[in-house]
Amino acid sequence: MNDYKTTVGIEVHAELKTNTKIFSSSCNGYANMANTHVNVVDLGYPGTLPTLNEEVIVKAIRAAYVLNCHINELMHFDRKNYFYPDLPKGYQITQSRTPIGVDGYVEIDVDGVKKKIGIHDIHIEEDTCKSIHYNNSSLLDFNRAGVPLIEIVTKPDISSSKEAVLYLEKLRELLLYADVSDCKIEEGSMRCDVNVSVSKTSNLGTKIEIKNIGSISNVGLAIDMETKRQIELLENDNILHEETRRFNEKNNTTVLMRVKETGNDYRYFPEADIPFVKLTPEYINNIIKGIPMLSSQRREIYLERGISDININKIIQNRELSDYLNRYLDKGINLVIASNLLLGDMANYINKNNVNIDDTCFNESKFIEIVNLLDKGEISSKIFKEILVDLFETNNDIKTLLEQHGISKISDNDLKKIIKNIIDNNQDNVLEYKNGNERIFKYFVGQVMKETKGSADPVIINKILQEELSK
Amino acid sequence: MSKYLDLSINEINNLLKSKEIKPIDLVTEAFERIENNADLNAFITLDKEGALEKAKELENKEVDNLLFGMPIAIKDNIMTKDLRTTCASHMLDNFIPIYNATVVEKVLDKNMIIIGKCNMDEFAMGSTSRTSYFGTPHNPWDKTKIAGGSSGGSASCVAARLVPLALGSDTGGSIRQPSSYCGIVGMKPTYGRVSRYGLVAFASSLDQIGPMTRNVYDNALLLNAISGHDNNDLTSSYNEVEDYTRLIGKDIRGMKVAVPYFFMSDIVDKEIKNNVDDIIKLLQDNGAIVEYIDIDYIENAVTLYQIIAMGEASSNLARFDGVRYGYSCDNPKNVDDLYKRTRQEGFGDEVKRRIMVGSYLLSGKNATTYYNKALQIRDDMRKSFKKAFEKYDLIIGPNTTTVAYNINDNLDNPSQTFLDDILVIPVNMAGLPGMNVPIGFNKDHLPIGLQIIGNSFEEAKMYQLAAFIEKKLNLDLMPKGVK
Repeated sequence: MNDYKTTVGIEVHAELKTNTKIFSSSCNGYANMANTHVNVVDLGYPGTLPTLNEEVIVKAIRAAYVLNCHINELMHFDRKNYFYPDLPKGYQITQSRTPIGVDGYVEIDVDGVKKKIGIHDIHIEEDTCKSIHYNNSSLLDFNRAGVPLIEIVTKPDISSSKEAVLYLEKLRELLLYADVSDCKIEEGSMRCDVNVSVSKTSNLGTKIEIKNIGSISNVGLAIDMETKRQIELLENDNILHEETRRFNEKNNTTVLMRVKETGNDYRYFPEADIPFVKLTPEYINNIIKGIPMLSSQRREIYLERGISDININKIIQNRELSDYLNRYLDKGINLVIASNLLLGDMANYINKNNVNIDDTCFNESKFIEIVNLLDKGEISSKIFKEILVDLFETNNDIKTLLEQHGISKISDNDLKKIIKNIIDNNQDNVLEYKNGNERIFKYFVGQVMKETKGSADPVIINKILQEELSK
Repeated sequence: MSKYLDLSINEINNLLKSKEIKPIDLVTEAFERIENNADLNAFITLDKEGALEKAKELENKEVDNLLFGMPIAIKDNIMTKDLRTTCASHMLDNFIPIYNATVVEKVLDKNMIIIGKCNMDEFAMGSTSRTSYFGTPHNPWDKTKIAGGSSGGSASCVAARLVPLALGSDTGGSIRQPSSYCGIVGMKPTYGRVSRYGLVAFASSLDQIGPMTRNVYDNALLLNAISGHDNNDLTSSYNEVEDYTRLIGKDIRGMKVAVPYFFMSDIVDKEIKNNVDDIIKLLQDNGAIVEYIDIDYIENAVTLYQIIAMGEASSNLARFDGVRYGYSCDNPKNVDDLYKRTRQEGFGDEVKRRIMVGSYLLSGKNATTYYNKALQIRDDMRKSFKKAFEKYDLIIGPNTTTVAYNINDNLDNPSQTFLDDILVIPVNMAGLPGMNVPIGFNKDHLPIGLQIIGNSFEEAKMYQLAAFIEKKLNLDLMPKGVK
């Protein structure tokens, strides 16, 4: 059973994050009601013509760039003709002869070994509308009709479910950071179809497609289950036929949808309603320059600034968090402390209250001040916790907040007085300490903290205590 | 009965300005004429109520341009908001558009008054207007003859002077050929000159809307009104709109004119050739230089047209599926049944024939063998035309090989009717502007027309030559049988 080689190819459809649809001025975004983001063009009304949303070109070029594709400078579209109720014009405008990007790759890290997964092509196309089956009838929601998509087709370079998952995670990260798509697989803005075949020889086996798998981890499961199913069939002398299956999440199996018809003929031909667009090298370069900082570069910077691997991974997984942290890259603050705050107490507050930090009173200058106070040991993390809610919810400056919480910054002289006082009143313990019981030192620190309500810097307390006790 | 609609556009404009007449007088007269000549079957839908209302509305407006208050008829494949637009098909026989085509907006901006929607071949597929679901329009010069097609209704109603102006569309001669058969002036502008937004697509890379009028000047005025870039049509040109009347009346001395040999070959009726020869002589006598030339692949234009136009049509007409609008069959058993019966019952024979041939031509390897090959040859033909225009100002020849024929001729030979368009199709293939100007009559007093072909965006020069010929010939273009 182990001498079978699995081959996987993946087709990903990603919705592009644009304001309007690809060929009309209708809104591309979430709608509460069906058929509200719709106009005559989306409905395929007679006489209507497509326009071309430049945002789509920009995002698609970004995608082609981050996936290391060759970018086709002569951009054009083709019609793919077929009849289906969710296809308003009876054809889909797509790219067949001149995909925007060809021959690229995505590099993944398989247990420390780098592997390039080849990208056959990236092409731009329009989404269909959504069929909703209800009480024995089918309803159509055209909000999705004309939403811009890119389809990313790999070469058959993936040889395990693990590689497939790594590829999809990396692809998602690349598209997310290049601001191409929000890649929310659960909401359908990223959809995966996988082609799985197994073979004992160097020839590829029969290709079986599994459509619309609902999460990246399920892609891995589906590939494993499908591989197992195919091998079992072959071992029992069955012949496989090309077919389309779907993944059943309830029992982790794949289920037959339809057997592929031979000679499915989409009658592709050039879309005459959209002229050829010549993308000059300058135009393409300008778009590439506008790509936000990618995750790989962010990782490098975070590593340089001393952030731990665990924290780096957590930050990169959250694009918004990483963007926020990046605002402080050139502010000369300690990024380790900053990332600890962001992933810890601040994240708790933000998640609990479901707010955007920029909508709160915790502005950038406060954040910088807090990080610096912590960095210099002028306040403790305990104090930070104490004033956290007020940082988010009031406009008071940090000095005022500390005062309000009875935490005034204690001068070294005052601290010295307090420490002397404690030593004077605890001569028994001083004696015991001097006789070699070092645990008593901690007792003194505790007393000082209690007296100062935690407002003193532990480092300075230690220093003064040691001086005073050694007198 | 008043005869205001026989006056020139300038005369009508002066009467409107001096308040001697009101727009409603023009509308009333147009409807009298239409009702008296209903047997021409030039219209599918009339909008008397809307037109009268619009005319009243205009009474309070300043007469701000020459087309103000002028009645106009619109071919029924151009979207008119709230006014039924059928494409002469059962598929859309109850279709009320919810938006206006860009040209309709432009016509309304000029305060013209839309009278109704003109009869045509179903989905503009034909050259006789006989494929209309609403019966065939007749030729006002002889009602036993066809008006041509596909813009047959537009040609018929202008020729009979029911309305002074109409819009047609031309994919493979559909403005020029009926204009020639009916003795009117018709212009197919440069591809991209006029927005196609709101024109029901037949062959996207060939379709173009254009003016059909009584005379050259009216035609240029109407082209002024409907031209220009449109953000809703990516194939519309950014080329500046010039005043297309500006060369009218200018001398043609020194003008270089070419005649393709193919246009004067044996395929053309002798009487027509003689008429064109007379024009060539007239031009030479007035200082123009006329020479014969060859245009590459011009004789293959019909074949190329059939491949390209039918291929594109098969895709463009896929949207008529009974799901969202238009005809939908009764009690479909399932989705396949809905598609099959809706399209089987909703489309006429010629449309179905072209969809089938077009689908075949784009299937599998055929797309490369036929469609892509046709695009290449088309490009070569375009280059050959461009080369000719390096040396010549204009190209002329006949528009048609015969004059208008009997309504029942060639009925059972669908491929024969394509040959009606053998001389007009090359212009669409090359994306060039082409027009018809009447130059005489045959022995049965049926109109003969001259085709003038210009370089891209040189419509003004075409009007210059057409106006010169029109003035020199001074033909009586009022059909006698009209009531």
